[in-house]
Amino acid sequence: MVPKNLYYTKDHEWAQIDGEFATIGITDHAQRSLSEVTFVELPSAGKQVKSHDVLAAVESSKAASDVYSPLAGEITEVNDVLSSQPELVNQDCYESGWICKIKISQPAGVKNLLNADAYEEYLKTI
Amino acid sequence: MFEKHAALAGKAQIVPFAGWMMPLWYQSISAEHAAVRNAAGVFDCTHMAVLKVSGKDAANFLNVVSTNDISMLKPGKAQYSYILNPAGQIIDDIIIYCIKDDNFMVVANASNEQNVKNWLNIVTVEKIDIDPGREYQVTDLKNPSLPDAKVDIALQGPASAKCLEDIFAVDVSGIKPLHFVSVKAKGYDLIVSRTGYTGAKVGFELFVHPDKAGGLWDIILEEGKKFGVVPCGLGARDSLRIEAGLPLYGHELAGDFSISPFQAGYDWAVKLEKKCFIGKEEIMKKLPIETEVARFKFDGSKGIRPIRQLDGLVNKDGRCIGNVLSCAKVEDKQVLLGLVKKGYAIFGDKVGVYYLARNKQHIEDGKKDRVAICDRLIADMKGLTVDRFEKF
Repeated sequence: MVPKNLYYTKDHEWAQIDGEFATIGITDHAQRSLSEVTFVELPSAGKQVKSHDVLAAVESSKAASDVYSPLAGEITEVNDVLSSQPELVNQDCYESGWICKIKISQPAGVKNLLNADAYEEYLKTI
Repeated sequence: MFEKHAALAGKAQIVPFAGWMMPLWYQSISAEHAAVRNAAGVFDCTHMAVLKVSGKDAANFLNVVSTNDISMLKPGKAQYSYILNPAGQIIDDIIIYCIKDDNFMVVANASNEQNVKNWLNIVTVEKIDIDPGREYQVTDLKNPSLPDAKVDIALQGPASAKCLEDIFAVDVSGIKPLHFVSVKAKGYDLIVSRTGYTGAKVGFELFVHPDKAGGLWDIILEEGKKFGVVPCGLGARDSLRIEAGLPLYGHELAGDFSISPFQAGYDWAVKLEKKCFIGKEEIMKKLPIETEVARFKFDGSKGIRPIRQLDGLVNKDGRCIGNVLSCAKVEDKQVLLGLVKKGYAIFGDKVGVYYLARNKQHIEDGKKDRVAICDRLIADMKGLTVDRFEKF
């Protein structure tokens, strides 16, 4: 499942761009390969990140995966619900399983992201 | 078998394993684990190595290449044992089934199949160390062109005996642990063995001709439904064996820490009183042991970071006493096997775990990415030392 209105990375993060803000999470492909997510290490609001910086870590009993920031910016909001309900990453990765929101500092960075069609093509190659 | 697994599990859960494509899970690891504890689960073990050692000198040969005592076997009985190299290192842990006095079946790990075959061939051709006599053959029993070809399908859990009795109309409840019988029923020619790798009190491995394995798999799933039988993947296989305390080659045996059978808690399978076996002199030098495998339980509820291989184990004085070897989530607990300083794992004692750095950020935050015995550590979470093995 690859929603059309989002941007993607080859590391299987998604970003929903809304003006100067972006909501970030991991894709359906990522949550499926992790299987049952039992722990999400969340970042702190206020932190500045560059693109490709580690934003969060998502772990299941079988695998651990770092979540990299698709864009540069300041973390403005964190989905704290995931601390007690990490399974939302599996159940609803594009909605209630979002990880954090950032205020984008370099809007040009969006150009480096994949659109839904390009990401779907990419998934076919791996 | 691949098509059968692909049909049962989504494509995403099938992973490469020892050169085979195997399902990690069909439904979920936790549901499959629970099924084996409460009803029964069926495991495709057709990738496991199955060898035949036959001939007048077969028993002598096996007694030279393995650590346990073959003379304790008789037809219908099986034995856990090790194959060592001359340096006393484990080539594999195996089960030897005595079919007849001059016919044995040896089951080894899929990941070690080639090493075991090569080694037995080297011993045969090069006459290493001790000449066990010449009249024996080692044959690959997975070769479907052999009339007595065999592959392994396991049915494990409390409902497994009833399920087999229902399908094949044979009484298997009398088969004692580490014993087996031959069963001919419904067009199948089976070895039904009370063995397994889940710690289940009642569990069987079924050895069947490879051409018949798919049919056997289907019939067990179909007829087993009413007993709650579900197909189980590699994930449940791992969590079940960890919960039971059973070692896996590369983790609790051999591996980075070169763990010996003595450290793993299996000294009884290495018969030092036997006159000779390959690796005996060298493995004796591994005694006395300084570290041993122990089992622990930690909180594993939602939101708790999973414990991983090599994470540190910490005593109440804040000293590292060892490292994690394997960990599995079982219900709301994490069960782990670790290698710790001998005498430091005492049943009921509190123990701490130290999470190693998992990424660059953690290292920047001051987390270590490796720890060793005696390091000073602050535990991230407290847990309990439990019995080395758990019975179900």
